Amino acid sequence: MTTDSIGFGHVDLGTDPLAQTPPTHDVVGGGAFGGDARPCASYTLRVNGFERPVTDAWIGESLLYVLRERLGLAGAKDGCEQGECGACSVQVDGQLVAGCLVPAALASDSEIATVEGLSAGGTASDVQQALADSGAVQCGYCTPGMAMAVHDLLQRNHRPSEVEARQALCGNLCRCTGYRGALAAVQVVAEARGAVDELPEQEEPEQADPPEAAAPSAVPVAVPVQSAADLSLAGEMPLYADSEAWVEAEQPHPAQPTAAGTGIGVGIDAVADYGVDYGDGQGVGHGVGHGGAATTHQTGVYEPADYPPYPATPPYNGTPPYDGTPYDASYDATFEQSRYEATPAHGTAHDGPPFEGTPAHGTPYTQTPAHGTPYDSAAYENATYETATYETSTYETSTYENPSYDNSTVYEHTGYDGSTPAHGIPLPEDDHA
Amino acid sequence: MLPASLDEAVEALAATPGAVPVAGATDLMEAVNAGRLRPAALIGLGRITELRGWRYEDGGTAVLGAGLTHARMDRPDFAALIPALADAARTAGPPQVRNVGTLGGNVATAAPAGDTLPVLAALEATATLARAGSTREVPVSHLLTGLDPLRPGELLTWVRVPLLNAPQVFLKATGRSGPARATASVALVLDPARRAVRCAVGAVAPVPLRPLEAETWVAGCIDWDARGEDGATVIDPAAAAAFGEYVAGACVPEVLPDGTNEGLAQGAARVRRTVSVLARRALGRALK
Ligand SMILES: Cc1cc2nc3c(=O)[nH]c(=O)nc-3n(C[C@H](O)[C@H](O)[C@H](O)COP(=O)(O)OP(=O)(O)OC[C@H]3O[C@@H](n4cnc5c(N)ncnc54)[C@H](O)[C@@H]3O)c2cc1C
Ligand code: FES
Ligand code: FES
Repeated sequence: MTTDSIGFGHVDLGTDPLAQTPPTHDVVGGGAFGGDARPCASYTLRVNGFERPVTDAWIGESLLYVLRERLGLAGAKDGCEQGECGACSVQVDGQLVAGCLVPAALASDSEIATVEGLSAGGTASDVQQALADSGAVQCGYCTPGMAMAVHDLLQRNHRPSEVEARQALCGNLCRCTGYRGALAAVQVVAEARGAVDELPEQEEPEQADPPEAAAPSAVPVAVPVQSAADLSLAGEMPLYADSEAWVEAEQPHPAQPTAAGTGIGVGIDAVADYGVDYGDGQGVGHGVGHGGAATTHQTGVYEPADYPPYPATPPYNGTPPYDGTPYDASYDATFEQSRYEATPAHGTAHDGPPFEGTPAHGTPYTQTPAHGTPYDSAAYENATYETATYETSTYETSTYENPSYDNSTVYEHTGYDGSTPAHGIPLPEDDHA
Repeated sequence: MLPASLDEAVEALAATPGAVPVAGATDLMEAVNAGRLRPAALIGLGRITELRGWRYEDGGTAVLGAGLTHARMDRPDFAALIPALADAARTAGPPQVRNVGTLGGNVATAAPAGDTLPVLAALEATATLARAGSTREVPVSHLLTGLDPLRPGELLTWVRVPLLNAPQVFLKATGRSGPARATASVALVLDPARRAVRCAVGAVAPVPLRPLEAETWVAGCIDWDARGEDGATVIDPAAAAAFGEYVAGACVPEVLPDGTNEGLAQGAARVRRTVSVLARRALGRALK
């Protein structure tokens, strides 16, 4: 389904048996058409602090669709449209949700934060950088969602345990990396932030607060429809190959430090360019890559100050053709180092904490069956389980006897690793027979 | 449209017959994205703050708002009230879904694998349905079985559950260790004041099933006075195992008597065994 057929075509679906009774009133927004099987609405979304008007959109369009196809924010990916994969994860009013399951028309007075907002400064956020460095990115399709999930987790919980991290990421499927990299990235960022601290919420996207964001929702009508050309916002710009702001990516220079300033970012930029080259919003690796891409293309103008000067003699030009001259070994060394060393290739062991013995999702298959399903009940006669920690259940001892429920208490996320099995927590089974 | 109060919402619903109420939209958008539903209009319930919490009523009843999210029900303060519902909410999908998916949406959808449903059945919860100008009370089980379904223009507003102040367990079997829908689930609550056990089995039938005979039988096997004492045997392990079999027998149809377990019968045998173990464990945990 193309944007056009939904936005303007008003395809006649009146004969469709699924079509419901047409509305007699205009319920969503200002543009519903009586008798139209595809009622439309116009509304303004507040994305990463910016007002983004949407006109004449079918009310059944998901936030994911509107972000990608109408607003050009292709960071969130469409993996399943069924809430199963998490590739479309975004935050709505500070909560992690599946963008594909949010009716965009009902998100019009919410704060929406997307992966593009993570890289607000133009560089990859610490979460994105850590994901890339930990080997959590292969094809990159899950990465924007994963980055949002990690970001969301670390906003709520500055020191997540391994189990908490697994629970938080359990809605994000990754077919490539096996989750170890993502889990390692959580710990890397948590440690790094803990070390820097005490500015816990410093990378909240809403606080990026660029000047234009000052316009509140009170004047949505006055906001002109933005085109790619007048968006000079980091990570906000839809990058299409035919847009005026499009700038061809630079050839990666062997010894050239990248925008990330570390040399580690080379891998990221490569991913970003790859994604952008596709130019159709389906770019692989767009999410994590976006930081790098936005740096390069942000204003359409290179800022020389941000880039260390090129070496006086670019190696490609300075190296004579193959004429028996000994190869410049120092160049080789530099090349290897900056290009590959800091970014683990596929399957390279990363430096993160070891996870030996724990399969993906945290359930040791040999010991604990999924959600208490017995594969063989005989196996659970095991005496170790009988002496379980279940004795200390909080339900039994304190809370039940005490009916003074304090409704007003603000719950601090404590991990709540209490009494019952949630996803993937190995718990002692209390087998009674 | 995002009405800020219940009255507004009910009126909007009455004024717009084809309109669909939207809570967390997790079930709704799944249907829309799959092309199974094309809403004529949407009425978002997310801004009705009164429905997003709960209150207490005389007689030890909690009145839960239909807009309570799974994530909210999973928190310790709620888990202390109705532990089985908290357990069910904790396993109802990935965080992205539980952050917005609601109790009311779960009941209104009435999916066979709806995780809160067996809990509400075991608790014998009742639902309040509101329409412009009137409300009515319906047992949740009547809603689910279609005996007295949600009518057009009606909103599910409140769910009344008793506060039993006793252990409750919800156990769920799924096909994988990550979030997934139940292949079978068991909710079991103790009612020490009445010396009763109430149990419901979910996901094995279109609606949660109550094995009433098994409940009465096992309540007689429990040494209620010994409950809470250190090291006391509250129930004979053999009785707990028999309870599991009893529940499974009541809820999952018989396997072919001649023992030629094929096709359906084999699947049924597996579900039976699952239910039996879940029920036995649930009882064991509740009486621990
Ligand atoms: C990936 C995924 C995994 C899931 N896993 C589980 C799971 O493990 N267990 C489980 O139980 N569920 C699961 N679900 C289903 C879903 O999340 C739950 O059923 C949830 O409780 C639905 O609530 P909602 O607020 O999103 O409902 P919505 O989608 O907003 O609404 C569903 C239906 O109910 C109607 N409705 C909603 N609220 C009201 C009301 N107050 N009055 C009248 N009608 C109303 C709507 O009109 C709509 O028809 C899953 C869903 C997804 C996408
Ligand atoms: S696309 Fe939304 S969860 Fe898969
Ligand atoms: S799906 Fe996760 S990197 Fe490919």
